[in-house]
Amino acid sequence: MHIPDGFLDPLTAAVTYAIMLAYTAFAFIKLRREESEDKATLAAVLAAGIFAAQMLNWPIPGGTSLHFVGGALAGILLGPWLGYISLFLVLLVQCLVFHDGGITALGANVLNMAIIDVLVGYALYKAFPGKYKPVGAFLGGWLGITLAGVACGIEIGVSSQLPYGLAVTVPVMGVWHAILGVVEGVITAAVVTYLARRAPYLFS
Amino acid sequence: MVSKRVLLFVALLVLISPVFGVILSEAVGYHEPLDIAAEEVGLEDITEKVNWTPFLDYTVPGLPDTIGYIVAGFIGVCAVLALGLGVAKLAGRKGSKT
Repeated sequence: MHIPDGFLDPLTAAVTYAIMLAYTAFAFIKLRREESEDKATLAAVLAAGIFAAQMLNWPIPGGTSLHFVGGALAGILLGPWLGYISLFLVLLVQCLVFHDGGITALGANVLNMAIIDVLVGYALYKAFPGKYKPVGAFLGGWLGITLAGVACGIEIGVSSQLPYGLAVTVPVMGVWHAILGVVEGVITAAVVTYLARRAPYLFS
Repeated sequence: MVSKRVLLFVALLVLISPVFGVILSEAVGYHEPLDIAAEEVGLEDITEKVNWTPFLDYTVPGLPDTIGYIVAGFIGVCAVLALGLGVAKLAGRKGSKT
């Protein structure tokens, strides 16, 4: 759901950029104050893995495609701030090196995939106790993508030429991502469950 | 500190990625729900008009798309890892706890 250049009007671009800059500053302050180098190194490796995973575009019968986003997974494994930084670095490299995601849309893409997706994933995982954590991970992955998709729909809806733009873009993005998000939820839960067994020290 | 096995797994993902990102994508005429929504409300993607990078859309000039996708993947993974490890150093300085 990387928004390209040309989709967002200047105001939407500016507002989302402001959110991104403020949130990034805050995340780095949190990083300096609260995070260890070990955990931040894990964040770097996870970011690289997420970058690679995002390159696998799965075609869907019916003529669309999806790729794993990984924001919820990052939020679950790293918490909201390092999870944000991981996705932020992925989106930054995708935009600047490959123009995947517009430079004018970087703020919006970061808001959707590095803020909303990460926070929703983190919150839902935390909300479930002990043996129900996989459920939390699934819901975090699914709802994170769905709400990120809705936010994306809002951003392009308000930017569109049509007065009823939102009424078109929000349902299209929301419904599609609610369906495709099931896959993200399943992968998120599977990865979290696997790591909880093989590398429980990651979940301290 | 970075596990070799994890890096190997990441490398494997990149190596198989063009099956999905290039071959299968072309087979379905790659587009995402975002493209569908944008078409419906008349938004125009101007990526190619304002492009600055030779690696647009994970291609490498002079290489066929499939190979270029893999090379681009490795470039991206290295860039993300380098930035990430640099950020990790920030956490390692004053104010961090282990």
